[in-house]
Amino acid sequence: MKDMDTHMTDETLLNIDALSLEFRTNRGQVKALRDISFPVKKGRILGIVGESGSGKSTVLWSILGLLAGNAKVTAGRVDYGDRDLLTLDAEALRALRGEEVSVVFQDPMTSQIPVLPYARQMSDILYRRAMSEADKRAAAVDMLRRVGIPDPESRVDAYPHQFSGGMRQRAGIAMSMLTGPNLLLADEPTTALDVTMEAQMIGLMRGLRDDFDTTIVVVSHNLGLIAEMCDDVVVMYAGEVVETGEVHDIFHNARHPYTRALLECDPARIADVSRKLPVIPGDIPDLTKPLAGCIFASRCQKAMPACATKAPPLVERGTGVARCHLLEGPLADASWPPPASVSTVARDDGAAAPLPANAGEPLLEVRDLNVQFRTMGALKARIRGVARPFVDAVLDVSLDIRPGETLALVGESGSGKTTLGRTILNLQAAAGGSVRFDGTEIGNMAERRFKPLRRDMAMMFQDPTGSLSPRKSVRALITEPLLIHGAEGRDLDAEAERLADMVRLPRGFLSRYPHELSGGQARRVGVARALALNPRLIVADEPTAGLDVSVQGEILNLMADLQAEHGLSYLIITHNLPVVRHIADRIAIMYLGRIVEDGPAAEVFANPAHPYTRALVEGVPQPDPDRRRPPSAAIEGEVPSLLRRPKGCDFATRCPLARDACRPAKPEHRHITPDRRHACLFPLTDTQDNKNKTETP
Amino acid sequence: MIIYLMKRLGLAAIVVMAVLLLLFSMLHMIPGNPAILALGTRATPEAIAEYTARMHLDEPVLTQFVYFLGSALQGDLGQDVFSNRAVVDIIGERIGFSLALICTGMGWAVLLGVPLGCLAAVRPGSWVDRVTGVFSVGMIAVPSFLVSIWALLLFSLELRWLPAIGAGEPGDFADQLSHLVLPAFAIGLGWVGYLARMVRASMLEVMGEPYIRSARAFGLTPRRVVLGYALRVAILPTITLIGMGFGGLISSAVFAEIIFARPGVGKMIFDAVSDRNFPIVQGGVLVATGFYILVVLMSDLLIAWLDPRVRSSL
Amino acid sequence: MSALPSDPARSATAPEAQDGEARESAGRERREKLMRFLTDWQAVTGLVLVVLFFASALFAPWIAPYDPNAMDIPARMSGPTWAHIAGTDQLGRDTFSRILHGGRVALYIAAIGVSASLSIGLVLGMIAGYGPRWLDNLLLLAFDAVRSFPAVILALATVALTGPSLTVVLAIVILTTIPSYGRVARTATLALRHTEFILAERSLGASTPRILFQHIMPNVIGPLLILAAMEVPVVVSIEAGLSFLGIGVLPPQASWGTILNEGYLVIRDAPWMVVAGGIPLILTTLGFTFLGEALRDIFDPRMGRGR
Repeated sequence: MKDMDTHMTDETLLNIDALSLEFRTNRGQVKALRDISFPVKKGRILGIVGESGSGKSTVLWSILGLLAGNAKVTAGRVDYGDRDLLTLDAEALRALRGEEVSVVFQDPMTSQIPVLPYARQMSDILYRRAMSEADKRAAAVDMLRRVGIPDPESRVDAYPHQFSGGMRQRAGIAMSMLTGPNLLLADEPTTALDVTMEAQMIGLMRGLRDDFDTTIVVVSHNLGLIAEMCDDVVVMYAGEVVETGEVHDIFHNARHPYTRALLECDPARIADVSRKLPVIPGDIPDLTKPLAGCIFASRCQKAMPACATKAPPLVERGTGVARCHLLEGPLADASWPPPASVSTVARDDGAAAPLPANAGEPLLEVRDLNVQFRTMGALKARIRGVARPFVDAVLDVSLDIRPGETLALVGESGSGKTTLGRTILNLQAAAGGSVRFDGTEIGNMAERRFKPLRRDMAMMFQDPTGSLSPRKSVRALITEPLLIHGAEGRDLDAEAERLADMVRLPRGFLSRYPHELSGGQARRVGVARALALNPRLIVADEPTAGLDVSVQGEILNLMADLQAEHGLSYLIITHNLPVVRHIADRIAIMYLGRIVEDGPAAEVFANPAHPYTRALVEGVPQPDPDRRRPPSAAIEGEVPSLLRRPKGCDFATRCPLARDACRPAKPEHRHITPDRRHACLFPLTDTQDNKNKTETP
Repeated sequence: MIIYLMKRLGLAAIVVMAVLLLLFSMLHMIPGNPAILALGTRATPEAIAEYTARMHLDEPVLTQFVYFLGSALQGDLGQDVFSNRAVVDIIGERIGFSLALICTGMGWAVLLGVPLGCLAAVRPGSWVDRVTGVFSVGMIAVPSFLVSIWALLLFSLELRWLPAIGAGEPGDFADQLSHLVLPAFAIGLGWVGYLARMVRASMLEVMGEPYIRSARAFGLTPRRVVLGYALRVAILPTITLIGMGFGGLISSAVFAEIIFARPGVGKMIFDAVSDRNFPIVQGGVLVATGFYILVVLMSDLLIAWLDPRVRSSL
Repeated sequence: MSALPSDPARSATAPEAQDGEARESAGRERREKLMRFLTDWQAVTGLVLVVLFFASALFAPWIAPYDPNAMDIPARMSGPTWAHIAGTDQLGRDTFSRILHGGRVALYIAAIGVSASLSIGLVLGMIAGYGPRWLDNLLLLAFDAVRSFPAVILALATVALTGPSLTVVLAIVILTTIPSYGRVARTATLALRHTEFILAERSLGASTPRILFQHIMPNVIGPLLILAAMEVPVVVSIEAGLSFLGIGVLPPQASWGTILNEGYLVIRDAPWMVVAGGIPLILTTLGFTFLGEALRDIFDPRMGRGR
């Protein structure tokens, strides 16, 4: 196949040239892509990085000609060899798809047809090959084995829903590599996966590139993934390419103010521990309006008056280009870019939060809390002879939160952290244990008796927009808690304005509806509503979920300010470790419903005791191409299903240090210091870490 | 799987029981002597006394229901008030006509409606889609009994292409078939439109799913994408719909049997209502109910067989 | 889309520039929806037919050229003429006048039947979707049983015991159409039940009635109203069908079903009666179907499934 393409010896495999594209929407023509140009070099991994609305995925789909029906390419070429993919007819394009150009999708759950087994899906992809069905099946089995699916001979007959998330994405990669394509396009390939899975996928895809000599284009918002995986990087903002270059240049010598700001906002790159995170103020421009000047001008700290009107020059450099007035021309600034130590983004350092007083009685005390979910009906359990027709979603959890303190509950999906948060707030029944708030037992209290307590405990939910009742105005939403708990004599309009001011939401937004808000604005409404009754504890479930890196700082800073002002306690539920490092006083790590380690955040990060904690801390890909991990660093396997909880230590199935002693019974929690606990028989802090590593086979 | 089957069968049995209870209590709720109601006002006192004893009408209501249930389960649905023949036998004679009508009506509707819906969904906005769209609304909008009347008027009375009434000479297959055409056409017409729309909507939704985009991204032929992938998923809700819709089809069939004077179960129930012939009404309603429960059960099982997600959750 | 609340207090504070834009785009969206409705020939046809249906039924006593029950024996079984544009029946009554008056029965049944089953279905559906699992299963079983049970069989069984009357028709209509609303309301409620905004309301301490009627109902009612437009033909057809069988509206009262019934008896001699009696039925069902579909396409393009 590849031998035929003699012209492919050229270094460039694919060249995108001046691509412009519009979406027809009911708000008018959205100029989603404008003048996109960059080459994809053969045999390399190119990353397209950008925040939501940057058009990064749209570029990917336009390469394959699989755009939505309302999209229209208005200009440009996509040259693959000597062909312009944008002008190819349907037949020629189809001949290319799957064979020469293949795709890995974002969500393996929805991108694989649920009613056909993998054997059928994969042999369908090979329909153009003159192979017997048996050979196609054998090829499918081989590729599944190559991507790390255990027992592929029988698993090839499985349906997608029978695989776990990580396995599904492996199978998705297997499908895309089945034909040995020249070019592999990957659209946010790890976004739907957990941290430990993400590290595995990065290693897998890099390995496949080496084995099959495939060129890869990967789209992601995740700077860590880009740094760890890619050779070349394209940075996009609001439908334009602002900078391109080799990965090292982008991460260590960024020339465009947006690239620089994006990198500085990433909590994983901020070395010092600070409650206040940097932000890029403002929103992306409205792409239905005519655009002039620099697209980033409205949010740029270095913007000059001319930036808003005059298109910036395209400045070449060894490995890429950047589009900025600071670099060339009459407005060039020789001092730009400043050295890495200089901060270029807004960072509100004033009024630093006073360190909370950790003394005093705990506000919230959870002891041996258990939550169970039924897995089958009573009748079915009886017939099947299942003694425990339920799983333990939360198992013997104990934790304390003191007034004014932030506790972060960290875990991957399925760790039970969200369930735990909801159980504390009495939104989910507990199967055992105790929850005490301010000294009073509140576990499983009847809702009528619990209601007064809801003034003191509020919750923020994951989805900023989805947690707001869609047919209510912002005013109605943030004053509803007052109505529910009796608002006699209160001026609701005044209250609404007070709350809006408190979360720095312009008062004009009070009459808007949730769908008219951006993610960050909706999140502010959520904060305002949680604050309406002056609570003492706020349980925040993934407060930065769905927010771009440049916006999440605003919310976290706001939360920090409110904590300092009102002495709030936070229970923050999250999987985002880099953020936790900056905002939490203490962290608790959950795995399969159990807390495996907890303690002061700084200590846990610096010196993890439990191997799982270390896997999590090291599992986050570093947004620095010089600190790439070897592929073997990724922890193996996946979080087991709750149905198959190991008898002994829950982590024993994946732990690189597991010994026989770990398997018969669950390790008890043990204290290292009065403030620090773990549940590991052979903690990393007992002996020299490195020594331990070498001793274990 | 076996548990699921048992559960469904148990559920079906409960529904049948509920209908039996309903029919039984109806006879007892209305004022007047049930024996007179059952036998008609022309019944002699001896007959009434005999019936009262035979049906245990002098015993407590609950005991009566147990007796009623017992005999119903043994296949004894009582006797025709006028001819004294067993209701079961009368139904046996007629059920063939009803089944033939219902199956033919649904059959042609499926054979035409499903492909039309597919075609319309593959090219939304094309002339096929627009013509199908308008016609299917038209077909759904006309009540089936009106289709029956107008078809009778046009094809039998005016054009004289097909026979108007009856079910044809026994044993003469061609004659029976010609008597089947018009009623089957009438009850199936609305279903053609309904199915076409349903399949179209279902297909359009599936065609927007990410896995269809992946199939296209892997370069599968449009034919394979539509028939092998999209239709494979889109047919599932359609099967449920067909199962659920059988009740409506039975209603249409009752009208068609009455209008075309076709000697099926529907016509039998209708005539019995006019004659206040309660055992026949009871038996007929019971058979109709049982048939519809059977069809719903079958469609559920078919779904379970076709959809691996449902299959493995059983 | 509910109208945005106007708030005098707000005008005091300076509205944001962005805020004005959002308002403007909401207005533009509404205008666009209206334009799309008015340029869709099916929608306009539907609207015209529905208006015609309401007008002719409401004003029947003034429009009808004859008393619907006035017999004119010499002119009996007359075909369509200038004096009787839809002919006369075997008693010499003017079919056109009877059709107009029959529309009043249809309107009566449709209005009461649809509003009653909509309200009951909405409440039952929300209870099924939000209540405990066993109640959901029970209601769902009841919905499915009633919905797919042959309505005619049910009507025949009922009438066999109670005798025909308009009340029975109404009861049958309401009973058999509740499940449609109930199922849609249940599905929508179920989808909302585990959304974060409902959970958020619970975490604020909102009571169950408050959650149901303040937060779930506004999100469920829209599709139900569109469904109601599509259910009018079903209701009208049931009435006509039962009256045609002689187990609904009783002669001599005029209804589209009784006209068809009388026409069917004389179909060989006076075929115009079944033709004339059927046309208003078709026009009404077409009108409401077109209107309902157009509304659905504009407001809720994703709702097409499930029915």
